[in-house]
Amino acid sequence: MTDYFGFNYDKNNKHHRMIRQALLIVVSLYGFVLLWWIVSLLANSVAIPTPLETWDEFVRLLRDGDVTNYGASVWGYVGSSMTTFLEGFAVAFVIAVPLGLLLGYSKDLRDLTAPAIEVLRPIAPIAWAPILILSIDYVVGPVLVVAIGIFFPLLTNTIFGVQKIDRNLTDAAKTLGAKPYQIFYKVMVPSALPYVMNGVKVGLGVGWMCIIAAELYAPSLGGIGNFLSEQAFMGYWPSVYAALILIAAMGLITTGLAEYVHKIITRRMGME
Amino acid sequence: MSGEISIKGLSKVYRTDDSETVAIKDFNLEIKEGELIAIVGPSGCGKTTLLRCIAGLEEVTAGVISSGSKVFSEPGPDRGMVFQDFALFPWRTVRKNIEFGLEIAGMPKEQRKEKSDKYLALMGLTAFADAQVHELSGGMKQRVSIARALITHPDIILMDEPFGALDAQTRNIMQMELVKLLDKTDQTIVFITHSVDEAVFLADRIVVLTKRPAEIKEIVEVPWPRPRDRASPEFTALRKRILTELENENTLV
Ligand SMILES: Nc1ncnc2c1ncn2[C@@H]1O[C@H](COP(=O)(O)OP(=O)(O)OP(=O)(O)O)[C@@H](O)[C@H]1O
Ligand SMILES: [Mg+2]
Repeated sequence: MTDYFGFNYDKNNKHHRMIRQALLIVVSLYGFVLLWWIVSLLANSVAIPTPLETWDEFVRLLRDGDVTNYGASVWGYVGSSMTTFLEGFAVAFVIAVPLGLLLGYSKDLRDLTAPAIEVLRPIAPIAWAPILILSIDYVVGPVLVVAIGIFFPLLTNTIFGVQKIDRNLTDAAKTLGAKPYQIFYKVMVPSALPYVMNGVKVGLGVGWMCIIAAELYAPSLGGIGNFLSEQAFMGYWPSVYAALILIAAMGLITTGLAEYVHKIITRRMGME
Repeated sequence: MSGEISIKGLSKVYRTDDSETVAIKDFNLEIKEGELIAIVGPSGCGKTTLLRCIAGLEEVTAGVISSGSKVFSEPGPDRGMVFQDFALFPWRTVRKNIEFGLEIAGMPKEQRKEKSDKYLALMGLTAFADAQVHELSGGMKQRVSIARALITHPDIILMDEPFGALDAQTRNIMQMELVKLLDKTDQTIVFITHSVDEAVFLADRIVVLTKRPAEIKEIVEVPWPRPRDRASPEFTALRKRILTELENENTLV
């Protein structure tokens, strides 16, 4: 029990924890908006609209659509970005996870590929954007940029997950008659799963950074990043910030989902 | 059934880049089918290593471990093992943990359920069939790991301090349960224990090991039928004798 201004906080009480969490979110966001407001007032620049102007623009944007483009729905932009994002994620996932499991399993393969991976990994995924988009096309290019961004955190976390496997568990499976392929999918895969999900969480964050940058090189894609940069070029600053709100919301939704799945898996495994 | 174990000239050396640990040196032991062997010895003398070698989990440096014409160079379902730290699969329920070996062997679902029901009941775990591993107490985990090893009916069961993590009372109950279980089967059991009392209570023969590298100091026959009376003078006398022997071994370290 901790006493907060006369309120007895009991951290073992679920309701107390929920109230605390809600209060923290409110206070944190309130502080952020307040800070934004102060900065916009002090800067007194059209490029930094106040939170209120941004909010009005955000609401207007959802209601009237993109007035600079015959009132096109912003949901179309959001949908386009989300599609690119999910395709990129899918590409990264189907390659990084099996590869990570394999590399985690075989030290020979790991040692063989490590130098190449270590050379490629530090390259900012965004650096691939102009290359891939201009050399392939406006649709596949951005998908690949997102895929590269998500690929490396997912790969390294998966490898790590396989290497972290408790040797006692694989030994136990062996004494119960498991063959190598059974050990692989009945022990290694499930025990690496929480680490894979951790890679997904990190990857999603990197992926959102990539997509906005990738869209800059693919103007005809019609994503939210395109909208953002067009509005900035035209100097419609409140629209730019309204677009940022949408981007933040999309990021929150995907990471929230990943967080939820991660939680279910770790709870089931008693890893909390 | 082919539950006999023959260990001839076994040596195990752990080598790292800059050190060598001789865990077992020129070790010989013949274990008969259906025998219950207890292994006691000073901490770190090589007991777990010996068990892992029999299980086929360690590559032996020298010597042969075999059963009849079969050499134990690889792990196999003919030798079940109960690990010191349970080694349960945390993503599986209690039932799915117990069924693991059956699943590996490709047994159909209904048959698996029938068998696991039996072992759940035997271990007093029926109410926890669908529980996750982390929801169990240490004693329950222990029982799950014993059930998991027993269910496939291996000829040989290797147990590494199977009751080590239990409090004295649960330990006594588990020992009694094991006695009941054992007298019904002809499986060979090799178990490591730190408790001389437990060894005298359960074993047909007690192998007393020296400090590392493990060599046999003495093999004690315990001829009495089970369950045994801990309060009887023979029991106390034997326990005391082995304890003294172990103490001598320990002071030599
Ligand atoms: N994988 C390994 N690599 C190197 N040395 C090892 C390894 N496993 C065990 N050893 C060493 O071998 C010796 C015997 O270890 P072992 O685990 O067999 O002892 P133990 O008798 O089971 O001990 P305890 O009673 O404490 O469980 C120890 O000195 C230990 O440090
Ligand atoms: Mg040990």
